[in-house]
Amino acid sequence: MLITLFPLRGQPKISLDIGIGFYEPTMKGFDDNDLVPFPAGNFLTRNILWNVGAYYEFFSNARVGYNSLTSFDLGRLDGFETSQPVFYRTMRYRMFPLETFFRLRPKIELNFTLTPIWGRGKIILETKPSSGGSGGRTITDDWNDLFNSFGDEDPIEQVASDNNMKSDWFGYSGMIGIRYYTRPWLGLDLKAGFINNSYDKDRWRFQGKRVKGPDLTITDIPVFSLKLIYAFR
Amino acid sequence: MNRFIRVLLLFSICFGNGPQETEPAKNPCADPVIAYARKHGVKAVPLKDLMHYYRTAKNCSKAGGEEVIQQIRLNEYTRDYRQSGTMAGWTSTHAVCVGVVIFYYFLGLLISSKPKSD
Repeated sequence: MLITLFPLRGQPKISLDIGIGFYEPTMKGFDDNDLVPFPAGNFLTRNILWNVGAYYEFFSNARVGYNSLTSFDLGRLDGFETSQPVFYRTMRYRMFPLETFFRLRPKIELNFTLTPIWGRGKIILETKPSSGGSGGRTITDDWNDLFNSFGDEDPIEQVASDNNMKSDWFGYSGMIGIRYYTRPWLGLDLKAGFINNSYDKDRWRFQGKRVKGPDLTITDIPVFSLKLIYAFR
Repeated sequence: MNRFIRVLLLFSICFGNGPQETEPAKNPCADPVIAYARKHGVKAVPLKDLMHYYRTAKNCSKAGGEEVIQQIRLNEYTRDYRQSGTMAGWTSTHAVCVGVVIFYYFLGLLISSKPKSD
């Protein structure tokens, strides 16, 4: 959307970036869950954040933009013996950064980023309409088992076709980075900083109903990112 | 409409111009896009001409114009460095604020002690 707002012929100072981030949240709701054995967490699903972004340089030393850091998890919930639903989890930290910078050397830049975060967590269960014949487990049972594991007691009576639970929260982040330009329009950017999120496990939504979500600690955690930048100018 | 297009195609096949004599190979380094990049920088080349620029720059390098391409890059680095070598206006205040926030965050992380769990 940002790109379409500015004419591309008149030297727009636009850059796109793609990369990865690293952080270390505590996901007790998944890792220490006694009722549902979630897919075992590993470095890729717990610590890696996939990063895409776009920036517009509106001043000789400043940019604004959009940056999305996303953590994924995927696996089968074998604990649900009959249905064994497929479980997807995403945590998306959507940032709207204001970045100031200066060139230390012609090829080296130091940048300073402060950004609000609009975070969104999403859990999807791909379960079967009815497993085990008459009197068997239904989608509603699977979802209620999931909610029970997060500390909620059978909040759902019937499940419609929509099969995901969501939560939104706000936060902020600060980062300092160093960028090395291998070409005038191509650079590698390394950032270090922190993210602070106001996540609340009681503020998840499922089909318009307030439900409990997993216990996560994503407050005040260090974050690092490595990105490849392509500048159009 | 379809019939019209078919007739048009047929006419163009029957009465179109024959292959013209190819022009002698031009010097790729003299291409206007290279001149534009020399003057304004590669990042100023319009998006639709970027692929053309990269192709021409490659051909120019092969044709012995490596120095021309290097000069374009050097000019662009120098221009960017001149533009953002020092922080202007409010940007230094923003940078200092970010620096202070991060410094105190990491300091807190280093010196804070976690409460013992029973």
